[in-house]
Amino acid sequence: MTWSLNEIETLSRKAARGAGLSWGLAEEAGKAARWLAAAGLPGPQVLADLLTRNDGRDYETLCPHEEHEGTWIARGGTLCPLISGAALSDHAERLARGDALTLGRTASPMLLLPYLDAAAHLSGRDITVSWDGVTVTCGPAARPDPGAETALGVAIAECVTIQSATPSDTATPRPAQSRADIPRETAARLDAFARRTYAPETPESRLSGAGAGLTDND
Amino acid sequence: MEQHQGMTVPPRDPDHVMRLSRLGSFHQSRLSFMRILLRRMESEAWRFERPVFDIDAAGTGRAVYTAHGPDHSYSLVAFANDLPADQRSDRVIATAWDATFTLFDGVPTDADLDRLEQNVPKQEAGRITESELSLSRANRSVRLWDHVVERLAAGRQPDRATVEEVGYLMRTTAVYGSGKFGAADREMTAGRPEFQPPFQIEMLSVYLTRAFVMDLVEHMALMRAPDTATALDPDLRRRFGIGNSTGLGMAPFLVTHPALLNNWIGAREEALSRIRSLPSASTTEAASLRSFARRAAAHVAEWHSDHPAQIAKLDALGADMRALLAHLDRADLCTDHPWNRLWLWGETVLSLEGQELLASLLLEPYPHLVDGLATCMAADEAATWRIDGAMSVARLRDLVERIYGWALATDWSEPAAQARVWYVSEEKLEPRLGERADEPLEPYEQPLCPGRDAARMHADLAATRETTVAGFLMRHPEHRHVLRRAQIAARLPYAEIRDNTIDASLLPIDMLRMKLSFFGASHFDPRSDRWVRINMYQHAPFPHELGLRSGDDWAYPFLSGAAS
Repeated sequence: MTWSLNEIETLSRKAARGAGLSWGLAEEAGKAARWLAAAGLPGPQVLADLLTRNDGRDYETLCPHEEHEGTWIARGGTLCPLISGAALSDHAERLARGDALTLGRTASPMLLLPYLDAAAHLSGRDITVSWDGVTVTCGPAARPDPGAETALGVAIAECVTIQSATPSDTATPRPAQSRADIPRETAARLDAFARRTYAPETPESRLSGAGAGLTDND
Repeated sequence: MEQHQGMTVPPRDPDHVMRLSRLGSFHQSRLSFMRILLRRMESEAWRFERPVFDIDAAGTGRAVYTAHGPDHSYSLVAFANDLPADQRSDRVIATAWDATFTLFDGVPTDADLDRLEQNVPKQEAGRITESELSLSRANRSVRLWDHVVERLAAGRQPDRATVEEVGYLMRTTAVYGSGKFGAADREMTAGRPEFQPPFQIEMLSVYLTRAFVMDLVEHMALMRAPDTATALDPDLRRRFGIGNSTGLGMAPFLVTHPALLNNWIGAREEALSRIRSLPSASTTEAASLRSFARRAAAHVAEWHSDHPAQIAKLDALGADMRALLAHLDRADLCTDHPWNRLWLWGETVLSLEGQELLASLLLEPYPHLVDGLATCMAADEAATWRIDGAMSVARLRDLVERIYGWALATDWSEPAAQARVWYVSEEKLEPRLGERADEPLEPYEQPLCPGRDAARMHADLAATRETTVAGFLMRHPEHRHVLRRAQIAARLPYAEIRDNTIDASLLPIDMLRMKLSFFGASHFDPRSDRWVRINMYQHAPFPHELGLRSGDDWAYPFLSGAAS
């Protein structure tokens, strides 16, 4: 059974919200999981792992602090890629100016790619990101190579470097997938997070909440 | 050409248009999605056929209706059921229906039909694939259904007054599209010209559903009494639309798709502005407007509701139509910017229902100025979705004050201003509306109250030492959602409902009405403050009549004696 990309985005967004991210960040997390799935990468799985890892942790411990010019670290020790990714996309102009950025210890760095892709589009420049021997160029022509999935899928990178580059056309464009599979176990974990956003039903709300009558026999 | 002389009337101010009471008074127009679809199918001479119609005497079985366009074919696959009365519910939480449907991308094989038969009748509990474009269901209007079957079986036509009282034989509820329950994402088909405008898949599905329902009722009469049964008179047959019952699930869509909302409203406002700017009109155009106004008055006379709020609106609309027809009898509709003068007259005399009906009517005589705008109604949501982090905090504050002025003037500490909570229920995963003071719902609140959220952000913007949006958001992730909205609305003036969507006085039916009017629905009949019944495609030609009749000229009742 394959999932539509809309289903993947919706489930991921709800899961991210259920795990405690703000609505705005959760929306981008949904788009990030979708982008990765469309690129043939296990976005939903990596997201489920990250949300499990960070469950119950405060935003303040996960968000980037600029330790010194060009270096971001988390007070809690490990950056959340959903928060850092959103911040990187917000700082697209700074990246376009040529400023390099270094992220300290970062969880699930694969999740940075959709945000850097957005930053590349916003700034009109390619962005190169590297960790643990893997380098990806994000930009209009670039799609990460699913062959590098193992290196892309590390749970923790000690250091991530980000640098804008002149747009090149050397990267191989990869066709986007329009459907994706999600392992049953991943879907169940994301669904468990998503369920936290649903209000338990009461007899009153069951009757009044949707406002419809009970019969259609007229 | 026409606009070179003199003034141009700008589109209306979003602060004026985007109020719930006005949006809740919108009517169908040339830019409605049903009319866009039928215009296309007619101009491209789509072919229709019914390769499968296998329904037994109990009314169970399956049918396929295929529409052939220039490059693609689409098939409505219908499964008919013999539903016991105690299971007939139009709530989204129902589990069985009189008929279920999917729109198949192409022409299904028997194997496809067998697969679909295992899934489509289960609706949300089933699973469809990228070969399917929509998923929907319908229940009979039992009273009218029984009457029509009985009459046709006896060789007689149904009673016209009874037909008009209900208006349809089946009511759809949810029509799911874009990627829902495994269906193909909109992105997979949006590049096809026939699906470029919004909701064309859903409108095609409903159009073919109407054809199926009418065939089914005639078939049931024939099965009951093969010797005496007759078919419906074609003119009476076209008086049957297809019903729909819509609850709260539809309302959040307008808030979660701001760029799309902007493009719908923007297209209609641009059309109105073009016509108000015309320095003169021909006698033919004036006669056309007068004729459509008479037909609209006939429509209003046929429009019934038991809901007190709608009864009051319809009373006012009836008076509006009398005033409008009287004014049109004596007004000069040809010189000195006639439509702008008419519009300004309407603003002083007509209720909101009447004003917005006049807006729709003014588009009717001008297909060449209006119909092309249909291509502007889809939205590239990705183009405006990313936050511009380089924007200054000062600029953002200025935008918030301009876009959400009404919200900054609201006292949010008043309980009434935040009386409601939008949430999603655990049981059915459907949007609901609850009372903040009475139920412990706040932790589950959905971000469907942009005004209040913008006011909260504005307070933090006043206090921050950050100078850029990027810096502000690093410290205030809770504002990320509404900040994105503010930046979208800065570029797209009609992106935001400029009203309080959680106020004690909120009528969610206003949101439903606005969306359904763009679909092309009529006969809005609220059943409560959050649930509405409508009619779709009433008076429209059936597939086999497309091109043989009067084209786009079906959205108002035909006057007796007039060519139809």
